Amino acid sequence: MRGMNFNFLCGEPPRPNGRNVGIIGAGPSGLAAAGLLSCQGYQVEVYDKLPKPGGLMLFGIPGHRIPKERIETGTRRMAKRYGVIYHTRTKVCCSAPLHEEEGDHFCADMRGLADLLEKHEAIIICSGSWKSRRLGIPGESLPGVYAGIQFLFPIRAVQYTAPNVKVPDVVGKRVMVIGAGHSAVDVAHSALSLGAAEVCMVYRRSRKEAPCGTYEIQRLEDMGVRWRELTTPMRFLGQDTVEGVEVSEKVVDEQGAMVERTTVIPAEVVVTAIGEIATPPFAKELGLENVRRGEVRWLNMTAIENVFVAGDALSGPSKIGKAVYSGLRAARSLANWLDLKAQNRQHEFTGDLMARSPEPTGSHGAV
Amino acid sequence: MSETKKLSVNYAACIGCETCEYVCRFANETPRIHMARTRSGLMVPLYCHHCEDPHCVKVCKQGAIVVDAQGVVLLNTMLCRGCDSRQCIQACPYAAMFETDKGVMLAKCDLCAARRRAGLEPACAEMCPTGAILYAVPETLKKAETPESLAAVERVLAHIRGK
Ligand SMILES: Cc1cc2nc3c(=O)[nH]c(=O)nc-3n(C[C@H](O)[C@H](O)[C@H](O)COP(=O)(O)OP(=O)(O)OC[C@H]3O[C@@H](n4cnc5c(N)ncnc54)[C@H](O)[C@@H]3O)c2cc1C
Repeated sequence: MRGMNFNFLCGEPPRPNGRNVGIIGAGPSGLAAAGLLSCQGYQVEVYDKLPKPGGLMLFGIPGHRIPKERIETGTRRMAKRYGVIYHTRTKVCCSAPLHEEEGDHFCADMRGLADLLEKHEAIIICSGSWKSRRLGIPGESLPGVYAGIQFLFPIRAVQYTAPNVKVPDVVGKRVMVIGAGHSAVDVAHSALSLGAAEVCMVYRRSRKEAPCGTYEIQRLEDMGVRWRELTTPMRFLGQDTVEGVEVSEKVVDEQGAMVERTTVIPAEVVVTAIGEIATPPFAKELGLENVRRGEVRWLNMTAIENVFVAGDALSGPSKIGKAVYSGLRAARSLANWLDLKAQNRQHEFTGDLMARSPEPTGSHGAV
Repeated sequence: MSETKKLSVNYAACIGCETCEYVCRFANETPRIHMARTRSGLMVPLYCHHCEDPHCVKVCKQGAIVVDAQGVVLLNTMLCRGCDSRQCIQACPYAAMFETDKGVMLAKCDLCAARRRAGLEPACAEMCPTGAILYAVPETLKKAETPESLAAVERVLAHIRGK
Protein backbone atom coordinates (compact mmCIF):
# COMPACT_ATOMS: atom_id res chain seq x y z
CA MET A 1 0.00 0.00 0.00
CA ARG A 2 1.24 3.49 -0.87
CA GLY A 3 1.64 5.73 2.13
CA MET A 4 0.10 9.10 2.81
CA ASN A 5 2.31 11.47 0.87
CA PHE A 6 3.15 14.18 3.39
CA ASN A 7 5.53 15.55 0.75
CA PHE A 8 2.70 16.02 -1.73
CA LEU A 9 3.79 19.61 -2.42
CA CYS A 10 7.05 18.67 -4.10
CA GLY A 11 8.55 15.97 -6.28
CA GLU A 12 12.25 15.32 -5.85
CA PRO A 13 13.76 16.35 -2.51
CA PRO A 14 15.03 19.93 -2.74
CA ARG A 15 18.52 21.15 -1.94
CA PRO A 16 18.94 21.84 1.78
CA ASN A 17 18.33 25.49 2.63
CA GLY A 18 20.51 25.34 5.70
CA ARG A 19 17.70 25.99 8.17
CA ASN A 20 16.59 23.75 10.99
CA VAL A 21 13.07 23.52 12.39
CA GLY A 22 11.61 21.51 15.27
CA ILE A 23 8.07 20.17 15.42
CA ILE A 24 6.50 18.96 18.64
CA GLY A 25 3.94 16.25 17.95
CA ALA A 26 3.78 13.80 15.04
CA GLY A 27 0.02 13.74 14.47
CA PRO A 28 -1.56 14.82 11.18
CA SER A 29 -0.86 18.52 11.82
CA GLY A 30 2.80 18.02 12.72
CA LEU A 31 3.41 15.59 9.86
CA ALA A 32 1.74 17.89 7.33
CA ALA A 33 3.93 20.76 8.56
CA ALA A 34 7.00 18.53 8.37
CA GLY A 35 6.06 17.62 4.79
CA LEU A 36 5.77 21.22 3.64
CA LEU A 37 8.98 22.36 5.32
CA SER A 38 11.05 19.38 4.19
CA CYS A 39 9.78 20.13 0.66
CA GLN A 40 11.32 23.57 1.01
CA GLY A 41 14.71 22.28 2.03
CA TYR A 42 14.42 22.63 5.79
CA GLN A 43 16.05 20.10 8.06
CA VAL A 44 13.02 19.01 10.08
CA GLU A 45 13.15 17.22 13.43
CA VAL A 46 9.90 15.93 14.92
CA TYR A 47 9.55 15.15 18.63
CA ASP A 48 6.83 12.82 19.89
CA LYS A 49 6.29 11.15 23.21
CA LEU A 50 4.98 8.00 21.54
CA PRO A 51 7.07 5.22 20.00
CA LYS A 52 5.89 5.94 16.43
CA PRO A 53 4.86 8.99 14.42
CA GLY A 54 1.16 9.20 13.52
CA GLY A 55 -0.60 10.73 16.52
CA LEU A 56 -4.25 9.84 16.93
CA MET A 57 -4.31 8.41 13.40
CA LEU A 58 -2.20 5.57 14.78
CA PHE A 59 -2.96 5.54 18.51
CA GLY A 60 -6.55 6.70 18.81
CA ILE A 61 -8.63 5.83 15.78
CA PRO A 62 -9.03 2.04 15.43
CA GLY A 63 -6.98 0.28 12.77
CA HIS A 64 -9.95 -0.93 10.78
CA ARG A 65 -10.73 2.70 9.93
CA ILE A 66 -7.20 3.93 9.16
CA PRO A 67 -4.79 1.25 7.91
CA LYS A 68 -1.59 1.46 9.89
CA GLU A 69 0.54 0.80 6.76
CA ARG A 70 -0.78 3.97 5.16
CA ILE A 71 0.66 6.03 8.01
CA GLU A 72 3.84 4.03 8.55
CA THR A 73 4.84 3.96 4.88
CA GLY A 74 4.17 7.69 4.65
CA THR A 75 6.24 8.66 7.66
CA ARG A 76 9.07 6.33 6.65
CA ARG A 77 9.17 7.85 3.17
CA MET A 78 9.42 11.32 4.64
CA ALA A 79 12.41 10.22 6.73
CA LYS A 80 14.19 8.32 3.97
CA ARG A 81 13.73 10.68 1.04
CA TYR A 82 13.32 14.05 2.71
CA GLY A 83 15.58 13.59 5.70
CA VAL A 84 13.00 14.24 8.40
CA ILE A 85 14.26 13.01 11.78
CA TYR A 86 11.83 11.60 14.35
CA HIS A 87 12.71 11.73 18.04
CA THR A 88 10.15 9.32 19.42
CA ARG A 89 9.53 8.56 23.10
CA THR A 90 10.52 12.14 23.79
CA LYS A 91 8.20 14.46 25.63
CA VAL A 92 8.68 18.18 25.39
CA CYS A 93 8.09 19.55 28.80
CA CYS A 94 5.31 20.21 30.12
CA SER A 95 2.25 21.98 31.33
CA ALA A 96 0.92 18.73 32.76
CA PRO A 97 3.12 16.66 35.06
CA LEU A 98 4.57 13.52 33.53
CA HIS A 99 2.34 10.42 33.68
CA GLU A 100 -0.80 12.45 33.78
CA GLU A 101 -1.72 12.11 30.14
CA GLU A 102 -2.32 9.03 28.04
CA GLY A 103 0.83 7.98 26.28
CA ASP A 104 3.26 9.35 28.84
CA HIS A 105 4.20 5.74 29.67
CA PHE A 106 6.45 5.57 26.66
CA CYS A 107 8.63 8.59 27.40
CA ALA A 108 12.29 7.86 27.72
CA ASP A 109 13.44 11.42 27.29
CA MET A 110 12.26 14.88 28.29
CA ARG A 111 13.23 18.07 26.56
CA GLY A 112 12.53 21.61 27.58
CA LEU A 113 11.12 24.12 25.15
CA ALA A 114 14.12 26.37 25.79
CA ASP A 115 16.56 23.62 24.71
CA LEU A 116 14.61 23.18 21.54
CA LEU A 117 14.59 26.89 20.81
CA GLU A 118 18.33 26.93 21.10
CA LYS A 119 18.69 24.04 18.73
CA HIS A 120 16.14 25.10 16.11
CA GLU A 121 15.47 28.38 14.35
CA ALA A 122 11.76 27.94 14.86
CA ILE A 123 9.33 25.49 16.40
CA ILE A 124 5.77 24.43 15.70
CA ILE A 125 3.75 22.95 18.56
CA CYS A 126 1.39 20.31 17.19
CA SER A 127 0.75 18.39 20.38
CA GLY A 128 -2.95 17.71 19.84
CA SER A 129 -5.69 17.49 22.38
CA TRP A 130 -5.36 14.44 24.60
CA LYS A 131 -6.80 15.22 27.97
CA SER A 132 -10.24 13.69 28.26
CA ARG A 133 -13.14 15.78 29.39
CA ARG A 134 -14.81 14.41 32.51
CA LEU A 135 -18.49 14.30 33.40
CA GLY A 136 -17.84 15.54 36.92
CA ILE A 137 -20.42 13.30 38.60
CA PRO A 138 -19.96 11.14 41.73
CA GLY A 139 -18.07 7.87 41.38
CA GLU A 140 -16.14 8.86 38.27
CA SER A 141 -12.83 7.77 39.81
CA LEU A 142 -14.04 4.20 40.50
CA PRO A 143 -11.92 1.51 38.81
CA GLY A 144 -13.69 0.38 35.65
CA VAL A 145 -14.62 3.92 34.63
CA TYR A 146 -12.47 5.04 31.68
CA ALA A 147 -12.27 8.13 29.53
CA GLY A 148 -12.39 7.68 25.74
CA ILE A 149 -8.71 7.89 24.83
CA GLN A 150 -7.75 6.13 28.07
CA PHE A 151 -9.78 3.15 26.84
CA LEU A 152 -8.75 3.26 23.17
CA PHE A 153 -5.09 4.21 23.44
CA PRO A 154 -3.79 0.95 25.01
CA ILE A 155 -5.58 -1.17 22.40
CA ARG A 156 -3.28 0.12 19.69
CA ALA A 157 -0.30 0.96 21.90
CA VAL A 158 0.04 -2.50 23.42
CA GLN A 159 2.03 -3.76 20.44
CA TYR A 160 4.87 -1.45 21.52
CA THR A 161 6.16 -2.75 24.82
CA ALA A 162 5.96 -0.33 27.69
CA PRO A 163 5.18 -0.78 31.35
CA ASN A 164 1.58 -0.13 32.40
CA VAL A 165 0.04 -0.43 28.97
CA LYS A 166 -2.74 -3.02 29.23
CA VAL A 167 -5.73 -3.53 27.00
CA PRO A 168 -8.88 -2.90 29.07
CA ASP A 169 -10.40 -6.16 30.17
CA VAL A 170 -13.96 -6.28 28.88
CA VAL A 171 -14.31 -9.99 28.12
CA GLY A 172 -17.73 -11.20 29.25
CA LYS A 173 -18.50 -7.83 30.83
CA ARG A 174 -21.28 -5.34 30.33
CA VAL A 175 -19.87 -2.14 28.83
CA MET A 176 -21.57 1.24 28.82
CA VAL A 177 -20.37 3.98 26.48
CA ILE A 178 -21.38 7.54 27.27
CA GLY A 179 -21.48 9.93 24.31
CA ALA A 180 -22.34 9.80 20.61
CA GLY A 181 -19.38 11.23 18.75
CA HIS A 182 -16.74 9.45 16.68
CA SER A 183 -14.76 8.36 19.70
CA ALA A 184 -17.88 6.90 21.34
CA VAL A 185 -18.54 4.87 18.18
CA ASP A 186 -14.93 3.70 18.16
CA VAL A 187 -15.17 2.67 21.82
CA ALA A 188 -18.40 0.71 21.28
CA HIS A 189 -16.92 -0.99 18.25
CA SER A 190 -13.68 -1.86 20.06
CA ALA A 191 -15.53 -3.16 23.13
CA LEU A 192 -17.52 -5.55 20.94
CA SER A 193 -14.47 -6.84 19.13
CA LEU A 194 -12.62 -7.31 22.42
CA GLY A 195 -15.37 -9.67 23.55
CA ALA A 196 -17.70 -7.63 25.74
CA ALA A 197 -20.88 -9.49 26.70
CA GLU A 198 -23.10 -6.46 26.12
CA VAL A 199 -22.49 -2.94 24.93
CA CYS A 200 -24.91 -0.10 25.44
CA MET A 201 -24.49 3.45 24.27
CA VAL A 202 -26.00 6.27 26.29
CA TYR A 203 -26.65 9.73 24.91
CA ARG A 204 -28.42 12.62 26.58
CA ARG A 205 -30.03 13.93 23.40
CA SER A 206 -31.91 12.14 20.62
CA ARG A 207 -30.60 9.88 17.89
CA LYS A 208 -31.14 12.58 15.28
CA GLU A 209 -28.90 14.96 17.19
CA ALA A 210 -26.03 12.50 17.61
CA PRO A 211 -22.82 13.91 16.08
CA CYS A 212 -21.87 10.48 14.72
CA GLY A 213 -25.10 10.34 12.64
CA THR A 214 -27.91 7.83 12.45
CA TYR A 215 -26.12 5.61 9.94
CA GLU A 216 -23.34 4.83 12.41
CA ILE A 217 -25.88 4.18 15.17
CA GLN A 218 -27.79 1.81 12.92
CA ARG A 219 -24.57 -0.03 12.11
CA LEU A 220 -23.72 -0.45 15.78
CA GLU A 221 -27.26 -1.66 16.50
CA ASP A 222 -26.91 -4.22 13.72
CA MET A 223 -23.81 -5.48 15.51
CA GLY A 224 -25.77 -5.82 18.75
CA VAL A 225 -25.11 -2.53 20.54
CA ARG A 226 -28.06 -1.25 22.55
CA TRP A 227 -28.77 2.47 21.95
CA ARG A 228 -30.35 4.49 24.78
CA GLU A 229 -31.12 8.10 24.01
CA LEU A 230 -32.41 11.01 26.12
CA THR A 231 -30.48 9.42 28.94
CA THR A 232 -28.23 11.39 31.28
CA PRO A 233 -25.80 9.72 33.69
CA MET A 234 -26.24 10.98 37.28
CA ARG A 235 -23.68 8.94 39.22
CA PHE A 236 -21.52 5.85 39.05
CA LEU A 237 -22.42 3.12 41.52
CA GLY A 238 -20.24 0.48 43.15
CA GLN A 239 -17.91 -0.15 46.07
CA ASP A 240 -14.44 -1.16 44.88
CA THR A 241 -15.16 -1.06 41.19
CA VAL A 242 -17.99 0.27 39.08
CA GLU A 243 -21.13 -1.88 39.08
CA GLY A 244 -23.61 0.34 37.31
CA VAL A 245 -24.71 3.84 36.47
CA GLU A 246 -27.71 5.70 37.79
CA VAL A 247 -29.25 7.55 34.89
CA SER A 248 -32.12 9.90 34.36
CA GLU A 249 -34.01 9.07 31.21
CA LYS A 250 -36.88 10.72 29.41
CA VAL A 251 -39.62 8.27 28.46
CA VAL A 252 -43.19 8.47 27.23
CA ASP A 253 -45.70 7.33 29.90
CA GLU A 254 -49.12 5.66 29.38
CA GLN A 255 -50.79 9.01 28.84
CA GLY A 256 -48.32 9.81 26.08
CA ALA A 257 -46.56 12.50 28.11
CA MET A 258 -42.79 12.83 28.32
CA VAL A 259 -41.67 12.08 31.86
CA GLU A 260 -38.28 11.76 33.50
CA ARG A 261 -37.42 8.73 35.56
CA THR A 262 -34.37 7.44 37.32
CA THR A 263 -33.06 3.94 36.67
CA VAL A 264 -29.89 1.98 37.16
CA ILE A 265 -28.08 0.42 34.23
CA PRO A 266 -25.71 -2.32 35.38
CA ALA A 267 -22.23 -2.24 33.85
CA GLU A 268 -18.79 -3.48 34.86
CA VAL A 269 -16.98 -1.13 32.46
CA VAL A 270 -18.05 2.41 31.69
CA VAL A 271 -16.35 4.66 29.13
CA THR A 272 -17.04 8.37 29.04
CA ALA A 273 -16.33 9.45 25.46
CA ILE A 274 -17.41 13.04 25.64
CA GLY A 275 -14.47 14.78 24.02
CA GLU A 276 -11.00 16.01 24.80
CA ILE A 277 -9.35 19.25 25.78
CA ALA A 278 -6.04 20.58 24.55
CA THR A 279 -3.08 20.59 26.94
CA PRO A 280 -0.22 22.09 24.97
CA PRO A 281 2.97 22.70 26.91
CA PHE A 282 3.10 26.29 28.23
CA ALA A 283 -0.40 27.33 27.14
CA LYS A 284 -0.25 30.53 29.18
CA GLU A 285 3.25 31.65 28.28
CA LEU A 286 2.44 31.09 24.63
CA GLY A 287 -0.68 33.25 24.80
CA LEU A 288 -2.74 30.62 23.03
CA GLU A 289 -6.04 32.37 23.68
CA ASN A 290 -4.87 35.27 21.53
CA VAL A 291 -3.69 32.96 18.79
CA ARG A 292 -7.12 31.31 18.81
CA ARG A 293 -8.81 34.66 18.38
CA GLY A 294 -6.42 35.53 15.58
CA GLU A 295 -4.84 38.37 17.56
CA VAL A 296 -1.25 37.70 16.64
CA ARG A 297 1.74 39.40 15.11
CA TRP A 298 2.07 36.70 12.56
CA LEU A 299 -0.26 33.92 11.45
CA ASN A 300 -0.06 30.96 13.89
CA MET A 301 2.85 32.49 15.84
CA THR A 302 2.56 32.46 19.62
CA ALA A 303 3.61 35.13 22.10
CA ILE A 304 7.10 33.59 22.05
CA GLU A 305 8.92 34.64 18.92
CA ASN A 306 9.69 31.79 16.51
CA VAL A 307 7.27 29.44 18.26
CA PHE A 308 4.22 28.53 16.20
CA VAL A 309 1.22 26.37 17.03
CA ALA A 310 -1.19 24.32 14.89
CA GLY A 311 -3.76 21.54 14.86
CA ASP A 312 -5.90 20.42 17.76
CA ALA A 313 -3.43 21.96 20.22
CA LEU A 314 -4.70 25.27 18.93
CA SER A 315 -8.30 24.61 17.95
CA GLY A 316 -9.31 21.92 20.43
CA PRO A 317 -10.61 18.56 19.18
CA SER A 318 -11.42 18.74 15.48
CA LYS A 319 -10.78 16.39 12.60
CA ILE A 320 -7.80 15.13 10.67
CA GLY A 321 -8.53 17.39 7.70
CA LYS A 322 -8.62 20.55 9.77
CA ALA A 323 -5.47 19.53 11.63
CA VAL A 324 -3.64 18.91 8.34
CA TYR A 325 -4.74 22.29 6.97
CA SER A 326 -3.71 24.06 10.15
CA GLY A 327 -0.29 22.38 10.07
CA LEU A 328 0.23 23.37 6.43
CA ARG A 329 -0.74 26.98 7.11
CA ALA A 330 1.48 27.24 10.17
CA ALA A 331 4.41 25.77 8.25
CA ARG A 332 3.93 28.21 5.37
CA SER A 333 3.65 31.06 7.81
CA LEU A 334 6.83 29.97 9.59
CA ALA A 335 8.74 29.79 6.31
CA ASN A 336 7.56 33.27 5.33
CA TRP A 337 8.48 34.59 8.73
CA LEU A 338 12.03 33.21 8.66
CA ASP A 339 12.57 34.38 5.07
CA LEU A 340 11.47 37.92 5.76
CA LYS A 341 13.26 38.08 9.07
CA ALA A 342 16.47 37.06 7.35
CA GLN A 343 16.02 40.05 5.06
CA ASN A 344 14.92 42.20 7.98
CA ARG A 345 11.65 42.88 6.15
CA GLN A 346 9.12 41.28 8.50
CA HIS A 347 7.39 44.61 9.18
CA GLU A 348 6.52 45.26 5.55
CA PHE A 349 4.29 42.27 5.23
CA THR A 350 2.53 41.83 8.52
CA GLY A 351 -0.79 43.27 7.41
CA ASP A 352 -1.03 40.78 4.62
CA LEU A 353 0.11 37.70 6.43
CA MET A 354 -1.63 38.19 9.74
CA ALA A 355 -4.52 35.96 10.61
CA ARG A 356 -7.67 37.31 9.10
CA SER A 357 -9.91 34.77 10.68
CA PRO A 358 -9.39 32.68 13.78
CA GLU A 359 -8.80 28.96 13.35
CA PRO A 360 -11.95 26.97 12.74
CA THR A 361 -13.06 25.17 15.87
CA GLY A 362 -15.08 22.03 16.15
CA SER A 363 -15.63 18.95 18.19
CA HIS A 364 -16.21 15.32 17.46
CA GLY A 365 -17.09 14.52 21.03
CA ALA A 366 -20.47 15.23 22.51
CA VAL A 367 -22.25 14.60 25.74
CA MET B 1 -11.44 2.94 -22.69
CA SER B 2 -9.54 6.09 -21.83
CA GLU B 3 -5.92 5.93 -20.72
CA THR B 4 -6.26 9.06 -18.63
CA LYS B 5 -6.06 8.60 -14.90
CA LYS B 6 -9.12 9.70 -12.98
CA LEU B 7 -10.17 9.94 -9.37
CA SER B 8 -12.41 7.52 -7.57
CA VAL B 9 -13.41 7.63 -3.91
CA ASN B 10 -14.09 4.30 -2.26
CA TYR B 11 -16.88 5.44 0.06
CA ALA B 12 -16.73 2.15 1.90
CA ALA B 13 -13.20 2.97 3.09
CA CYS B 14 -13.72 6.73 3.54
CA ILE B 15 -14.05 7.86 7.15
CA GLY B 16 -15.21 11.39 6.34
CA CYS B 17 -12.15 13.08 7.85
CA GLU B 18 -12.17 16.01 5.37
CA THR B 19 -8.46 15.80 4.57
CA CYS B 20 -9.20 15.75 0.82
CA GLU B 21 -11.19 18.98 0.99
CA TYR B 22 -8.61 20.74 3.14
CA VAL B 23 -5.53 19.79 1.10
CA CYS B 24 -7.46 20.77 -2.03
CA ARG B 25 -8.14 24.12 -0.37
CA PHE B 26 -4.46 24.50 0.42
CA ALA B 27 -3.33 23.51 -3.08
CA ASN B 28 -6.01 25.39 -5.02
CA GLU B 29 -7.33 28.15 -2.72
CA THR B 30 -10.94 27.21 -3.46
CA PRO B 31 -11.58 23.52 -2.84
CA ARG B 32 -13.02 21.47 -5.68
CA ILE B 33 -13.85 18.42 -3.61
CA HIS B 34 -16.47 19.05 -0.96
CA MET B 35 -17.78 17.24 2.08
CA ALA B 36 -21.52 16.69 2.30
CA ARG B 37 -23.38 15.34 5.30
CA THR B 38 -25.97 12.80 4.26
CA ARG B 39 -29.28 12.68 6.08
CA SER B 40 -28.09 9.68 8.05
CA GLY B 41 -25.09 11.67 9.21
CA LEU B 42 -22.30 10.27 7.04
CA MET B 43 -19.68 12.76 5.88
CA VAL B 44 -18.76 12.07 2.27
CA PRO B 45 -16.66 13.95 -0.28
CA LEU B 46 -18.39 14.88 -3.56
CA TYR B 47 -16.14 15.27 -6.58
CA CYS B 48 -16.02 15.43 -10.36
CA HIS B 49 -15.92 12.04 -12.07
CA HIS B 50 -14.75 13.51 -15.38
CA CYS B 51 -17.54 11.68 -17.21
CA GLU B 52 -17.00 10.27 -20.70
CA ASP B 53 -20.02 12.17 -21.97
CA PRO B 54 -20.43 15.05 -19.50
CA HIS B 55 -23.83 16.69 -19.06
CA CYS B 56 -22.27 19.87 -17.71
CA VAL B 57 -20.46 20.47 -21.02
CA LYS B 58 -23.69 20.10 -22.96
CA VAL B 59 -25.78 22.48 -20.87
CA CYS B 60 -23.26 25.33 -20.51
CA LYS B 61 -24.39 28.05 -22.92
CA GLN B 62 -21.13 29.96 -22.56
CA GLY B 63 -19.08 27.00 -23.72
CA ALA B 64 -17.09 27.48 -20.53
CA ILE B 65 -16.80 23.77 -19.76
CA VAL B 66 -14.70 21.77 -22.14
CA VAL B 67 -13.17 18.33 -22.37
CA ASP B 68 -9.45 18.41 -23.11
CA ALA B 69 -7.56 15.98 -25.31
CA GLN B 70 -6.95 13.67 -22.36
CA GLY B 71 -10.63 13.55 -21.41
CA VAL B 72 -10.31 15.87 -18.41
CA VAL B 73 -13.35 18.10 -17.94
CA LEU B 74 -12.15 21.67 -17.46
CA LEU B 75 -13.82 24.93 -16.50
CA ASN B 76 -12.64 27.93 -18.47
CA THR B 77 -12.96 30.53 -15.76
CA MET B 78 -12.64 33.36 -18.28
CA LEU B 79 -15.82 32.26 -20.03
CA CYS B 80 -17.90 31.30 -16.98
CA ARG B 81 -20.48 33.96 -16.28
CA GLY B 82 -21.94 32.33 -13.21
CA CYS B 83 -25.31 32.53 -14.95
CA ASP B 84 -28.54 32.52 -12.91
CA SER B 85 -29.84 29.29 -14.34
CA ARG B 86 -26.88 27.34 -12.89
CA GLN B 87 -27.50 24.68 -15.52
CA CYS B 88 -24.21 22.94 -14.96
CA ILE B 89 -24.85 22.60 -11.23
CA GLN B 90 -28.24 21.06 -11.93
CA ALA B 91 -26.90 18.82 -14.66
CA CYS B 92 -24.08 17.17 -12.70
CA PRO B 93 -25.17 13.73 -11.46
CA TYR B 94 -22.41 13.81 -8.81
CA ALA B 95 -23.15 17.29 -7.41
CA ALA B 96 -19.57 18.24 -8.19
CA MET B 97 -19.95 21.80 -9.50
CA PHE B 98 -19.44 24.14 -6.59
CA GLU B 99 -20.64 27.70 -6.23
CA THR B 100 -18.14 30.06 -4.68
CA ASP B 101 -18.23 33.58 -3.37
CA LYS B 102 -14.86 34.35 -4.90
CA GLY B 103 -14.27 36.21 -8.18
CA VAL B 104 -14.99 33.10 -10.18
CA MET B 105 -18.53 31.92 -9.52
CA LEU B 106 -17.81 28.26 -9.88
CA ALA B 107 -15.17 25.79 -8.89
CA LYS B 108 -14.61 22.37 -10.34
CA CYS B 109 -11.90 19.75 -10.16
CA ASP B 110 -9.28 19.80 -12.94
CA LEU B 111 -7.42 16.83 -11.45
CA CYS B 112 -4.87 19.33 -10.10
CA ALA B 113 -3.85 20.52 -13.57
CA ALA B 114 -1.08 22.78 -12.28
CA ARG B 115 0.34 19.99 -10.15
CA ARG B 116 0.17 17.52 -13.02
CA ARG B 117 2.15 19.92 -15.17
CA ALA B 118 4.81 19.80 -12.47
CA GLY B 119 4.77 15.99 -12.49
CA LEU B 120 2.68 15.66 -9.31
CA GLU B 121 -0.58 13.83 -8.73
CA PRO B 122 -3.88 15.20 -7.37
CA ALA B 123 -3.33 16.38 -3.80
CA CYS B 124 -6.43 14.72 -2.33
CA ALA B 125 -5.37 11.23 -3.38
CA GLU B 126 -1.83 11.78 -2.13
CA MET B 127 -2.90 12.77 1.36
CA CYS B 128 -6.00 10.65 2.06
CA PRO B 129 -5.24 8.95 5.41
CA THR B 130 -7.22 5.82 4.57
CA GLY B 131 -6.17 5.40 0.95
CA ALA B 132 -9.82 5.67 -0.08
CA ILE B 133 -9.06 8.01 -2.99
CA LEU B 134 -7.59 6.28 -6.00
CA TYR B 135 -6.02 8.05 -8.96
CA ALA B 136 -5.69 5.56 -11.77
CA VAL B 137 -6.81 4.63 -15.27
CA PRO B 138 -10.50 3.66 -15.50
CA GLU B 139 -9.67 0.01 -15.97
CA THR B 140 -7.77 -0.11 -12.69
CA LEU B 141 -10.53 1.81 -10.92
CA LYS B 142 -13.05 -0.69 -12.20
CA LYS B 143 -10.97 -3.59 -10.91
CA ALA B 144 -10.79 -2.02 -7.47
CA GLU B 145 -14.59 -2.01 -7.11
CA THR B 146 -16.05 -4.30 -4.46
CA PRO B 147 -19.65 -5.08 -3.50
CA GLU B 148 -19.14 -2.83 -0.46
CA SER B 149 -17.77 0.08 -2.46
CA LEU B 150 -20.59 -0.16 -5.00
CA ALA B 151 -23.21 -0.25 -2.27
CA ALA B 152 -21.58 2.75 -0.63
CA VAL B 153 -21.62 4.71 -3.91
CA GLU B 154 -25.31 3.92 -4.24
CA ARG B 155 -25.97 5.37 -0.78
CA VAL B 156 -24.17 8.57 -1.73
CA LEU B 157 -25.95 8.86 -5.08
CA ALA B 158 -29.31 8.29 -3.40
CA HIS B 159 -28.50 11.19 -1.11
CA ILE B 160 -27.59 13.45 -4.04
CA ARG B 161 -30.79 12.57 -5.92
CA GLY B 162 -32.86 13.09 -2.81
CA LYS B 163 -31.76 16.72 -2.56
C1 LIG C 1 -11.19 8.14 19.37
C2 LIG C 1 -11.04 9.21 18.36
C3 LIG C 1 -11.63 9.05 17.11
C4 LIG C 1 -11.50 10.01 16.14
N1 LIG C 1 -12.06 9.79 14.92
C5 LIG C 1 -11.88 10.71 13.93
C6 LIG C 1 -12.41 10.48 12.63
O1 LIG C 1 -13.06 9.48 12.36
N2 LIG C 1 -12.19 11.41 11.67
C7 LIG C 1 -11.48 12.54 11.93
O2 LIG C 1 -11.27 13.34 11.03
N3 LIG C 1 -10.97 12.79 13.16
C8 LIG C 1 -11.16 11.91 14.17
N4 LIG C 1 -10.66 12.17 15.41
C9 LIG C 1 -9.94 13.43 15.63
C10 LIG C 1 -8.52 13.43 15.06
O3 LIG C 1 -7.86 12.26 15.45
C11 LIG C 1 -7.76 14.66 15.53
O4 LIG C 1 -8.51 15.82 15.23
C12 LIG C 1 -6.39 14.79 14.87
O5 LIG C 1 -5.62 13.63 15.04
C13 LIG C 1 -5.63 16.00 15.43
O6 LIG C 1 -4.35 16.06 14.88
P1 LIG C 1 -3.14 16.77 15.62
O7 LIG C 1 -1.97 16.59 14.75
O8 LIG C 1 -3.52 18.16 15.96
O9 LIG C 1 -2.97 15.99 17.00
P2 LIG C 1 -2.75 14.44 17.40
O10 LIG C 1 -3.17 13.52 16.33
O11 LIG C 1 -3.38 14.31 18.71
O12 LIG C 1 -1.18 14.32 17.55
C14 LIG C 1 -0.48 14.97 18.57
C15 LIG C 1 0.83 14.27 18.83
O13 LIG C 1 1.59 15.05 19.75
C16 LIG C 1 2.22 14.21 20.70
N5 LIG C 1 2.47 14.99 21.90
C17 LIG C 1 1.55 15.59 22.69
N6 LIG C 1 2.14 16.28 23.68
C18 LIG C 1 3.47 16.12 23.52
C19 LIG C 1 4.61 16.59 24.23
N7 LIG C 1 4.49 17.40 25.28
N8 LIG C 1 5.83 16.21 23.79
C20 LIG C 1 5.96 15.39 22.71
N9 LIG C 1 4.92 14.93 21.99
C21 LIG C 1 3.68 15.29 22.39
C22 LIG C 1 1.24 13.08 20.87
O14 LIG C 1 1.90 11.92 21.32
C23 LIG C 1 0.67 12.90 19.46
O15 LIG C 1 1.40 11.96 18.71
C24 LIG C 1 -10.79 11.21 16.41
C25 LIG C 1 -10.22 11.39 17.67
C26 LIG C 1 -10.34 10.42 18.65
C27 LIG C 1 -9.74 10.65 19.99
